[in-house]
Amino acid sequence: MESNRELISTKSRSAFKQQALKDQITGILFTFPALIIIFIFGIFPIGYSIYMSLFNWQVTKGPYVGGQNYLLIFGSWSNLLVLLAGLGLFVLGFFVWRKAFQSLNNGSRLAHIAGALVLILGGVIFVTGWGLMYETGNKDFLNSLIVTLYYALGTVPAEIILGLVLAYILYQDIIGKEAFRMIYFLPYITPSISTAVVFQIIFSSRETSLANQLIGFFGIDPLRWRFEPKPVLNLLGFDVSGLAGGPSLALLTIIFFGIWSFVGYNTVIFLSGLGNIPKEIYEAAEMDGGSKWDRFWHITIPMISPVTFYLTLIGFIGTFKAFNHIYVMRTPSAQNTVVTTSLLVFDRFYKANQYSVATAQAIVLFVIILGLTLAQNKLMGERVFYG
Amino acid sequence: MDNLAALPTTKKTKKDIHVGRILGKAFLYLILLVGALIFIFPFFWMISNSLMTLGETITRRFLPDVPQWINYKEAWFQASFSKYFLNSVLITLGTLAGLLFTSILAGYAFGRIDFKGKNTIFALFLATMMIPESVTLIPNYLLIRGNIIPLPGGTWINTYWALTIPFMANAFSIFLLRQFFAQIPNELWDAARIDGCDHLRFLVQVVMPISKAPIMTVLLFGFTGAWNAFQWPLLVTTRDTWRPLMVGLHGFVQEAGPQTNLLMAGAVITIIPILVVYFLTQKQFTQGIATTGLKG
Repeated sequence: MESNRELISTKSRSAFKQQALKDQITGILFTFPALIIIFIFGIFPIGYSIYMSLFNWQVTKGPYVGGQNYLLIFGSWSNLLVLLAGLGLFVLGFFVWRKAFQSLNNGSRLAHIAGALVLILGGVIFVTGWGLMYETGNKDFLNSLIVTLYYALGTVPAEIILGLVLAYILYQDIIGKEAFRMIYFLPYITPSISTAVVFQIIFSSRETSLANQLIGFFGIDPLRWRFEPKPVLNLLGFDVSGLAGGPSLALLTIIFFGIWSFVGYNTVIFLSGLGNIPKEIYEAAEMDGGSKWDRFWHITIPMISPVTFYLTLIGFIGTFKAFNHIYVMRTPSAQNTVVTTSLLVFDRFYKANQYSVATAQAIVLFVIILGLTLAQNKLMGERVFYG
Repeated sequence: MDNLAALPTTKKTKKDIHVGRILGKAFLYLILLVGALIFIFPFFWMISNSLMTLGETITRRFLPDVPQWINYKEAWFQASFSKYFLNSVLITLGTLAGLLFTSILAGYAFGRIDFKGKNTIFALFLATMMIPESVTLIPNYLLIRGNIIPLPGGTWINTYWALTIPFMANAFSIFLLRQFFAQIPNELWDAARIDGCDHLRFLVQVVMPISKAPIMTVLLFGFTGAWNAFQWPLLVTTRDTWRPLMVGLHGFVQEAGPQTNLLMAGAVITIIPILVVYFLTQKQFTQGIATTGLKG
């Protein structure tokens, strides 16, 4: 009996081992085709980009230059150091400041003030570093970061708000819900090259263009839209000029397109997120006598926050990667007011053949995306309510 | 009207609430309709302009007097859209075949098999979703040009391989399938194993037939991705041999310039296949995207 049981257990153990070995082999074999392609075209290029950025590489590989290509961006290492120190202080100050808010003991007021001071100091040092960099570094690159930021701030919040509003309305008992959802999603799946062509003629600078006819209806003189490098604020009568004056009208036109093509995606995702909120919570609130508005503000918004967080994150990453529609909608007369970083990198590489300069810029962009993702995770991730 | 006055006051206020509710509802519909109009208008404008004479596009009529179907014929032949269209179809089909093959296998391995290194590889895959194309574009271009490692045929610029192989696997599709495959009950696998099934047969005969929905979603996203691709094809096609529609349309924009009507006809040609597929499968599409979005 005893030996028999042992026999079975050793037998099953060896069978188990055999299965484990089989699993190991099958697992590797099954992932292999995907691994090869993703490694060659997705992972290896990152390392190779870093390698390229250390040389003077124009079409063909030249001599090793170390950090020279990065130096061209920042002007000098000390500039970068000042900027990073400012950023570090800013983050530190922020944490002290927020900690002070959380604790209730007597020292909190002092910590509060100290935190605020460090925060301000960090901000000042950061701006100083940026100024130094702007003087001696690569203006084109730094400008492109500002344009990218304008583009991100112009599109992502609007897309989130419009997406949530449309989804919330669709979530009520609406006749033709499916049809609405289908129409809203349409711009997201159609090729942006094709739809951008339509936006080009709608927002053309001709007096008879649709956009100009529309504003003419309200008594506004024709505008140059895609061809207008002046800041929108300037056109509204404010005394500002250049990139510091906010996004140009040309960029705003591209922002319109960005919002138009992306809102439907957010609507669809929000809609399914709303479906996941338990009905009981609403029913309980209704019995407590909350108004519809209260319920939206105190139940829907917090319950939907993980979705909002996800959409904000991919929205920001998306704007930093955006290329196709900006590339086809830009005009020479809009100058650098529509050149985002991903376009600048492409121009350096494709038109100017400065491969190593382009890779160095791309890597700095990548690091910025990583940093923003981490910051967003830290900041918003803590506030998000996961039901 | 007289009846209304005769009703008790309580009833009347109830009716008022009712009217208020209807007005509120009407307001919601108004927002939805305005939204729908804004979303659909550029498509209407595209089609209406594609059927106008050149004169009509300049005077900005809303609809053409007589639909000029000849514009489509001209765009199709004059701008060699027929060639680009065929290229796009072939590139999309090849990419999809490869994508399905790699992502079903890898999705299954990540979702259902325990093996060493699984989590590391999976994390590595997911990390690639955050990387901007700007970083990978230049090395990939050198790679395809045959500058980094020798390629069969010297260079892959202007070849079918350059346009398909790099897109034959992506983390998103693998992730999507893995989520679904992992939810399949283990009892199914146990039963199949007793019958002498190995992983491959189980995958083909049991898992794939019950996973039509997620596989369909991968197909649809792969389809739009391959069909809408622009930056990479622009880079690796210097001749018409394998140039796809999007690059062709972009070239046509610069060539046709003021010929708005032909340009719009070209644009309509590029979106028709996407529209057809979308309308046939739109439920799958929006549901697929919703589930992937939330799991992200």
